Amino acid sequence: MDVEAKRIMALSISKLYSLRTQRGGLRLHRSLLLSMTMRAARDIYHTVQLLKDTEEEQVVPCAPDAATEEPMETDSPQTLIQTSKEVAMKPHEPKETLDEDKENRYASERQSRKRRGKTALEPDFLPLKKARMDTDEEKQHLQSEVLRTNNGNSCRQAETLTAFANRAIVAC
Amino acid sequence: MMAGVGGGNDFQWCFSQVKGAIDEDVAEADIISTVEFNYSGELLATGDKGGRVVIFQREQESKNRPPSRGEYNVYSTFQSHEPEFDYLKSLEIEEKINKIRWLPQQNAAHFLLSTNDKTIKLWKISERDKRAEGYNLKDEDGRLRDPFRITSLRVPVLMPMDLMVEASPRRIFANAHTYHINSISVNSDYETYLSADDLRINLWHLEITDRSFNIVDIKPANMEELTEVITAAECHPHQCNVFVYSSSKGTIRLCDMRAAALCDRHSKFFEEPEDPSSRSFFSEIISSISDVKFSHSGRYMMTRDYLSVKVWDLNMENRPVETYQVHEYLRSKLCSLYENDCIFDKFECCWNGSDSAIMTGSYNNFFRMFDRNTRRDITLEASRENSKPRAMLKPRKVCTGGKRKKDEISVDSLDFNKKILHTAWHPKENVIAVAATNNLYIFQDKIN
Repeated sequence: MDVEAKRIMALSISKLYSLRTQRGGLRLHRSLLLSMTMRAARDIYHTVQLLKDTEEEQVVPCAPDAATEEPMETDSPQTLIQTSKEVAMKPHEPKETLDEDKENRYASERQSRKRRGKTALEPDFLPLKKARMDTDEEKQHLQSEVLRTNNGNSCRQAETLTAFANRAIVAC
Repeated sequence: MMAGVGGGNDFQWCFSQVKGAIDEDVAEADIISTVEFNYSGELLATGDKGGRVVIFQREQESKNRPPSRGEYNVYSTFQSHEPEFDYLKSLEIEEKINKIRWLPQQNAAHFLLSTNDKTIKLWKISERDKRAEGYNLKDEDGRLRDPFRITSLRVPVLMPMDLMVEASPRRIFANAHTYHINSISVNSDYETYLSADDLRINLWHLEITDRSFNIVDIKPANMEELTEVITAAECHPHQCNVFVYSSSKGTIRLCDMRAAALCDRHSKFFEEPEDPSSRSFFSEIISSISDVKFSHSGRYMMTRDYLSVKVWDLNMENRPVETYQVHEYLRSKLCSLYENDCIFDKFECCWNGSDSAIMTGSYNNFFRMFDRNTRRDITLEASRENSKPRAMLKPRKVCTGGKRKKDEISVDSLDFNKKILHTAWHPKENVIAVAATNNLYIFQDKIN
């Protein structure tokens, strides 16, 4: 599912790019469908990554899950529950740090380029926050779908794709 | 007249004619992009990607043996739209004819509306079989006569000439659509018509070209919030205040122009709940409606999405009354169809004259017909191999799994480059026109 989602994301992006050069101008309907498909694939991919990260976090010895069969130390049930919640929250933190670094790096890269056209507005390159918001909104929806955990790469590429999809629609 | 689809004792579909080049190498400009019979069925118009309109006229019924219905022959050909360039947006505007709609005939001339992505034109097609001769101020070859040489006056006389069919643009309705026009529909008042693009629908008067009323606008304030577009629109066949428009989300809205000047709020909302078990990455795309058509009676409407055709009763909004699977075997191939862009193909659909049958296209030059009364369906093929005059069409079958029978074709063998997107059914008789890339096939029922 993860691999499939990534493949569909890449496919959607290349199609969105090729739409720009098509005769007759950008087709709004087509680009909307492409970006929706890309987002659906991206969201599945993100959710799979989150679940995967959650599982990896739970393996860390200092935060034993209440459901594991390994003998606990002197932790009380209350502490265990709190710890589990911390574990659940944790996947966001490393991701945020990574994203901030990505954001800063992207910005510094951009400053070194020549003057850009007006169509490439700066807010479009802050998609990472928007992507997270989307993820938060739709995560609950997605979690109800069938998900399969899988090993995957970093989701940086996926989130950059969102910026492009949004820009494709706005450019119309 | 019932459309027998099962090949029983009722009747058989037979090949009648095929128009277009046989050449394997198809020029893109020759690809047919719309097909439409006029109200009487006497005329059949096609538009192509090159912006050309070709009109065929049916000749009188032959009294020869064997008797045959009149054939369609070329009546008029003209260049409707040319490629244009929008300098402000640096965009090329394609000349492809998206839709043709005939006006009801009110005098000797015929009128039709043709549209590309941005401009709608009203064309007058008229016959000229007389020519005035005996002018005073010019010779027969058109050269001006020296006025001092004219010693007497004469009245020009109309003399017969070879029939000439002229097409002239009478109205040009331009600059009203920011997005790409997907539909035009003539209203039953015969005075107005609507045009729809991705986000807006405009109402025009046929006599007035410099303004139109915007009656639907679904453009969000922030384009990043866009979730759906308009995919098709049509006026009700009898109620001139009612129209419908379909969306990329698989919904249809019926609007009443008496309710408000701006019909953003619908009167009826048609949507079938999605089956959660069939959800996939491509659910959004395949639920997008590519065509909507009212029945002739005005009681029903039909919608086409990627895999099915649905008939809706206008009195019931929560689900269609009939659903017909066109090519369900493609559901497991959606990923491949997404890769090769076929999943974005916009198939049209049409009713027969009595609303008892419906027709739509598929791949491999197959087209499907569904009889609403008997619930039988048939798959036929538009192919040069079956193009002997009055040859009966053999039903085709796609093998969906297991052992392939003798005359069946497997899903993997289907040619996805041969797609039938545009079909039309004669308003009164069992004659159908099927556009297969650059060829137009005409089929009719067998006459005993």
